[in-house]
Amino acid sequence: MTRDSRGNWFLAGFTLLVFILLYGPIFVPIASSFFALKQGVVNWQQPTTLAYVTLASNEGILVALRNTMIVGVSAVVCSLILGMASALYFNSGRSKGRALLQFIIFLPFLMPPIITGLALLIYFREIDFDRSLVTVIIGHTVFVLALVYRTLLVRLQSLSRSLVEASYDLGASGFQTFRYVLLPNLTSAMIGAGVLAFALSFDETMITLLVTGTDNTLPTRLWAMMRLGFTPDINALVAVILALTTLMCLLAARYLMPRESTGT
Amino acid sequence: MSTDKLLLELKAVSKSFGSTNVLAHIDLAVRDGEFITILGPSGSGKTTILRMIGGFESPSSGQILLDGADISPLPINKRPFNTVFQDYALFPHMTVAANVGYGLKVRGTKNAEITDRVSQALALVQLADFAGRYPAQLSGGQRQRVALARAIICRPRLILLDEPLAALDVELRRHMQLFLKDIQREIKTTFLFVTHDQEEAIAMADRICVMNAGHIQQLGSAHEVYYRPANEFVARFFGDNNLIEGRLQETVDGIRWIETPLGRLACAIDGQAGVAAASLGARAFAAFRPESLSLTPTGHASENATRGCITALSFAGAHTLANVAVDAAEPLSLRLRLPSRVEGVAVTPGMIVDLYWRAVECRLVLV
Amino acid sequence: MSRRRFKPATASSHWPATGAVFAFPIAFILLPLAAFLAYSFFWTEQGVMSYALTLRNYARFFTDPVFLPVLRQTCVLCLEVAFLTVLAGYPVAYFLASLRGRIRYILLMLMLVPLLMSYVIKIYAIRSILGGHGALNRALLWLGLIDEPLTVFVFNLNAVLLTLTVLLIPFAVLPIFLSLERIPRSLMDASADLGASATQTFMRVILPLSLPGTITALTFVFVLAIGDFLTPQMVGGQSGFTFGRIIYSQFGTAFNWPFGAALSVILAVVVIAAIALGTIFGRDRSALK
Repeated sequence: MTRDSRGNWFLAGFTLLVFILLYGPIFVPIASSFFALKQGVVNWQQPTTLAYVTLASNEGILVALRNTMIVGVSAVVCSLILGMASALYFNSGRSKGRALLQFIIFLPFLMPPIITGLALLIYFREIDFDRSLVTVIIGHTVFVLALVYRTLLVRLQSLSRSLVEASYDLGASGFQTFRYVLLPNLTSAMIGAGVLAFALSFDETMITLLVTGTDNTLPTRLWAMMRLGFTPDINALVAVILALTTLMCLLAARYLMPRESTGT
Repeated sequence: MSTDKLLLELKAVSKSFGSTNVLAHIDLAVRDGEFITILGPSGSGKTTILRMIGGFESPSSGQILLDGADISPLPINKRPFNTVFQDYALFPHMTVAANVGYGLKVRGTKNAEITDRVSQALALVQLADFAGRYPAQLSGGQRQRVALARAIICRPRLILLDEPLAALDVELRRHMQLFLKDIQREIKTTFLFVTHDQEEAIAMADRICVMNAGHIQQLGSAHEVYYRPANEFVARFFGDNNLIEGRLQETVDGIRWIETPLGRLACAIDGQAGVAAASLGARAFAAFRPESLSLTPTGHASENATRGCITALSFAGAHTLANVAVDAAEPLSLRLRLPSRVEGVAVTPGMIVDLYWRAVECRLVLV
Repeated sequence: MSRRRFKPATASSHWPATGAVFAFPIAFILLPLAAFLAYSFFWTEQGVMSYALTLRNYARFFTDPVFLPVLRQTCVLCLEVAFLTVLAGYPVAYFLASLRGRIRYILLMLMLVPLLMSYVIKIYAIRSILGGHGALNRALLWLGLIDEPLTVFVFNLNAVLLTLTVLLIPFAVLPIFLSLERIPRSLMDASADLGASATQTFMRVILPLSLPGTITALTFVFVLAIGDFLTPQMVGGQSGFTFGRIIYSQFGTAFNWPFGAALSVILAVVVIAAIALGTIFGRDRSALK
């Protein structure tokens, strides 16, 4: 943008600094996870993988990890189905009802999560719905639905309307049109949205804290552990989570980036 | 080519979107096997007609009959018509072969038969070697031909073409016009072709339906709409007709006279019952084409003549257009078209010329 | 056949399918929000709920000397966070937008990856960096700026401010980057061609055109910061009390749901006001053609 190279070097340096600021809180615990911990202070002279061994035998964490997976996968499946149905419906015409539906779906995304969480908490109590992993799944679905819906709708709207018309014109039924024309063109958006939704669900803390019963997900488990003071296996867990998250990011990027050209 | 048997009829079809009337009382009969073109400026309602026949829109009132039976209840996918879309609407995730075979596949046709018929259709549009390609790897003209192959493979009764050549460059468009016409002759299927390009319509159509503002202005062969325009709109839409307004006079020996600022003009009226029946003194235009004007007497029994001054020349390649100012009761300008020669045309600006044109090339258009 | 505009007979045009599409959002978004709004007008005393509608919760909020100042303090804090993130985020976005080719998107991705890292872990890590034995104090000791570790960085509002700023920087970078990216390079060339210096081009062309994105960034960060109760809970200590924490405590230790609901409604009003202000001032005037 600017051709002033001194200015550019300054900007590059500043950007590097911000990157360090952003990555510091991620890499410090990972680095510490490979060293021994003595009274809360890392001993950098004593490398060890003990933290990982402790982690692997920490029953509470493993259960929380399993819960997180269950919740994440369920929320992804629910939000994909609901998001797809809503996007197809919204795209099939114009009406006040459609605009209202879209507004409702966007609400939990606009409001702070604490409000979504509290609203669900109060609602579940009023309708006598016991808090459990099911309520957590509902909460997460509500939370990620806007994103999934939006991603699918954008892709749907990028498809020429005449593609659907052409399919009907050639004799296809509504289902055949969905199966053969729309779905193949939405697959990558679905995978991308699904991965992103999973990543959001994986890390969702505020809503989960409010709507969960006795079950813990990984973030709420971590939250509880850290308030009580920490153990070395937390650092190990951070490393594991980072690895998983990075993998998910790469997957999401792979499917959400615009394709260079169709087919080869 | 076309028979007199009717394939499709539109009866008093109207269409409005909200409070906007797009089509008003359209009556149109399409003959089996003909190449019919709906021609009109954008917003004339021509695409709406096509979309209603295809089933993409339903008429606000009126009927669409196929072989005499109302097809309104039939949804798009049950109508024996196929469409070539303006943007081609090729499925980007399917190969050329899969695109072309789609209509057969969704009908549950056996794979072996699909393969056979796809290769036949691709051979017909000269794309046999492109079966495995994706639409993104094709040129505009090739995509156009895939869209055509996809539309003809189900052997529809009628093929609807929605300005399919609009996106192509001039050279390719000329080529595709001939190509489409050949294909239509070969598969003996009725083509309903929508365009805003009058040259395209003239080059391809058996019959042209000229549309404007939701009404059919004229329906007839290219010759008819070109030489016997039914009204002022059609007269102005095709080429740059000279239109001189005047009042109708008597008919003598198949020639009807009109009193204009240029004097009394003789006009042929064969095939124009409306003009023949119009009352004395009715207002009308005398319409004659720039290329009908001659600088020397035509030697014809009934001819018109006038004198004027060349005011401007514009060279347009094969011909040169000249503006001629005529000193009549009110100032008038006529357009004159002369063949170009290396040494130039026979006139120069400022020259006084006499113009002659035959009564058979001077037509009346009622106001 | 209906006289209405014909729609291809997709499943979604049928009433049962339409009902199904609406069912979940109504059951689990609209109704909960309605219940939540209703709760803010209930009253509870010594564990006994009264379902008669009352404004007492709101009256308590405006009359009690505690809540209004905390809300004001929290708003100021979140505004500070928003300005700090934009201050840090703008140069980064500008640098990213000035790059060409793949590297610009790779760096942008790298900027966003920390967002997907566990929020709780990041708070915890920042707390340990800010703490007595943390990296910050060590660096200051090493530089000789201080003689012994400082404790002013943790368990107070400063800690909340610093932590939220670090956590939310990517949310500021993204909208600013998107608005900068949309500015055609030809505008800069035109400005230079007309004799403007690099600084003049920035001040008169780039800055005004990226203003909508910058305001979006401010709104975005403000809304995220004010809704957060995890960060203040973890690094705020006794003095770092924020509005979000108070709300959360109504559902935990204080156990007064109607009052918590009323406080949340007030939070929602603040958020809606922030979004509305952001929309009004962030409107892209150059796009209104």
